[in-house]
Amino acid sequence: MISRRDFVRTTSGAIAAVGAMHPLLSWAVDNSYNISGKDRMVVRSSQFLDLEMPPEFATSWITPLNHFFVRNHMLAPDPIDVADWRLNVAGSVEHPLSLTLSDLQKFEQHTVVSIIECAGNGRGFFRPQLPGIQWGRGAIGNAQFSGPRLRDVLQKAGLKDSGKHVMFRGADVVLGKVPPFIRSIPIEKALDGDTLLATHMNGQPLIHHHGFPCRTLTPGWVGSASCKWLTDIKVLDKEFEGNFMKPGYRFPNHPGKPGEAINPDDTYPLTALTVKSLIALPAESQSNNRTIHLQGTAWAGEADITRVELSTDGGSTWKPAKLGHDHAKYAWRLWSYKWKAPRSGDYTILSRATDSQGRTQPATPVWNPSGYLYNTYDQVKIHVQA
Amino acid sequence: MFKPSFFITTLFLSLSWIAAHAQSFDFPDAPKNPQIKEKVVKSCTACHQSAVVVQQRLSKAAWTKEVDKMIKWGAQVDPADRDAFIDYLSVNFSPDKPAPEFPRTDASQ
Repeated sequence: MISRRDFVRTTSGAIAAVGAMHPLLSWAVDNSYNISGKDRMVVRSSQFLDLEMPPEFATSWITPLNHFFVRNHMLAPDPIDVADWRLNVAGSVEHPLSLTLSDLQKFEQHTVVSIIECAGNGRGFFRPQLPGIQWGRGAIGNAQFSGPRLRDVLQKAGLKDSGKHVMFRGADVVLGKVPPFIRSIPIEKALDGDTLLATHMNGQPLIHHHGFPCRTLTPGWVGSASCKWLTDIKVLDKEFEGNFMKPGYRFPNHPGKPGEAINPDDTYPLTALTVKSLIALPAESQSNNRTIHLQGTAWAGEADITRVELSTDGGSTWKPAKLGHDHAKYAWRLWSYKWKAPRSGDYTILSRATDSQGRTQPATPVWNPSGYLYNTYDQVKIHVQA
Repeated sequence: MFKPSFFITTLFLSLSWIAAHAQSFDFPDAPKNPQIKEKVVKSCTACHQSAVVVQQRLSKAAWTKEVDKMIKWGAQVDPADRDAFIDYLSVNFSPDKPAPEFPRTDASQ
């Protein structure tokens, strides 16, 4: 029979051996999350690929590609061979088109800096909990998108007056009997000079995870309005009727109490994003010295950020943050604030943004059954040591 | 000298470490209905990773809606197993359970 002393000796030695093996074991477990071009992103799902940016990476105006979030509703297609790829433009147009990537590059190229944010960013904070990817705070990024204007391509196709909505379909792979991920946007947004058929992101061709060779950019709107791996554009006489237009991606006209049922007919399709802020640094649970450089971002869909405020006393008092110089219509705005904690201890930092439409982030979320547009004050809990 | 007890303990601790770090996306056993776990795993992971299920924290009513939606969308579930699926999911992934830990991708430039 093994003695207690022998057990302790054997176990201690084994723990030391396991400790020495740790890097190898870590590799064995984590190797399945070696996603090309993505750096330390939170894996909400590897199939379908859903990667979230840790908030502490949101310290630059332009989000590097390796930190830009990924949201796939379906299976990503195999990497697309440009020689085989065509973009079809059909529906309420005089001359249907079948365009190559080279054709797209002959249109005037336009650049827009815009956020893309998943409509469900923050879903994981709703109570009661709601089904869907349990995003935290980082299903958001701000990038420079380039390519022809959708408007120019539609006009070349001879857009008819009867065209009221524009539908997009990508090459993502649909499994089972799942409805394909098809959505449409109103013609007014499609004809906006900043709505793009983007072929480039941050100055380089789109990478596969972001829709190579072409994606739509519907700037300032929920991410689902920007279709990756684009293959088909169809001009419709009315809004597309499909699962991801209704019941998907709709918001109640009259939001109720948490958990309350919503009448699907009393809802509207999501369009522009709402006002929101994100505390990047200090990171959650981080220990800090008393003098802290608070940093973060704020955005408001199609509106401008006019003010970001911070509270270190539970929301009793608010101090304005300094807004960053970099500024564009659909982009996020960096902010910073130097704070000296009065004493050591635990603190909760709150941030709230206000936009040019007069909207301010609420203290409590607006509950809706799909967990969209979560935009209550952002917060991090930190420890300050003297 | 090689000691079998040392080797076995090391192996046990190694496997425990892997289990602890990989468990966030695992489906728990169902002692009262051992076969249902494998059926749930097979049906759900035919299309998507287990993480999509394991991260949910839903009431029985919400799980019922999800299971029925997935069956409508092509999930292979024997009609005789539908209620057991809902029971398994609502017991193991209920609102009172702590949130799972999510892994991160490797570092890359």
